[in-house]
Amino acid sequence: MIELRFHRDLYRGESVDAAAKALAPYATAIDRAEEPAHWILRVAASNPERERRVAGEIANRALGITVRGAG
Amino acid sequence: MSSLSEVASVDAAQRSVALTVDASLYPLGAIYGAAYVFLDRCYVLLDKPDAAHVRVTLSWKKGEPPEGALVALAGEFANELLSCAWRAKIAEESRAVIESTTARALSGAMGAPSLDDLEKFEFGDEAFEDPLGIAMSWEEKYGKNKKAAEEKKEEAGK
Repeated sequence: MIELRFHRDLYRGESVDAAAKALAPYATAIDRAEEPAHWILRVAASNPERERRVAGEIANRALGITVRGAG
Repeated sequence: MSSLSEVASVDAAQRSVALTVDASLYPLGAIYGAAYVFLDRCYVLLDKPDAAHVRVTLSWKKGEPPEGALVALAGEFANELLSCAWRAKIAEESRAVIESTTARALSGAMGAPSLDDLEKFEFGDEAFEDPLGIAMSWEEKYGKNKKAAEEKKEEAGK
C-alpha cells in the first residue's frame, strides 16, 4: 500500500477527490483520511509496480486539476 | 547560493529525486508552472515540510532510470522553475501596461460614440499647450520654408 499525502496549502480537496475517483478502477482499494494539514490517500493495487503507477497517476492528476483551477 | 546537490536528494530505491525549494524565492505559481511541465515525464508530488519551503518529488515513470538521469531531471526542473519565476515577475511588472492597453482596445472596439457621448464631450476653443512643438508642421518648426508655410497658412485662413 502506498500513502499519498497532499498538503492542503498546495492541493485543492476537490482535485484530490476527482483524481482518486478517476483512477479508482485501476486500484484494488483507495482509502481516504484527513489530517489538519493533509489529505491522505492510501492506494492498493494488484502488484507493487501497478500500485506505484496508480499512485503516481493520482498525484499527477490531482496536481494537474489543482494547477488548472488556480490559473 | 545553494548547489543542486544541496537542495536535491536522490532515492534510488524509490526511483525518485526530491528538491527543496525556497518559497520566498519562487512564488507558488512558478512552482505549479514548472511542475505542470513535468507531468508527462514523471510523477510529481508537492509537499510543504515547513512554511518557508516546498518539497518537489519527481518519480521516474517506467523502468529503471539510466545512471545520472534523476539528477539531470532535478537540474531540468530547477531550470524550468527559474524560467517560470522570471516569467511570473515580468507578467507582474507589466500588468498595469497590459491592463491599460486592453482597456483602451476594448473601449475602441465598442464602436463610434453615441450622440449622448458626444453631447457630454467638451469641445473648447482654447488651443492646447504644445511646448515641444509636436503639433507644428516641419516647415513651421524648422523655418526652412517658413515663409511659404506662413503664406499657405494665410491662404487657408482666407
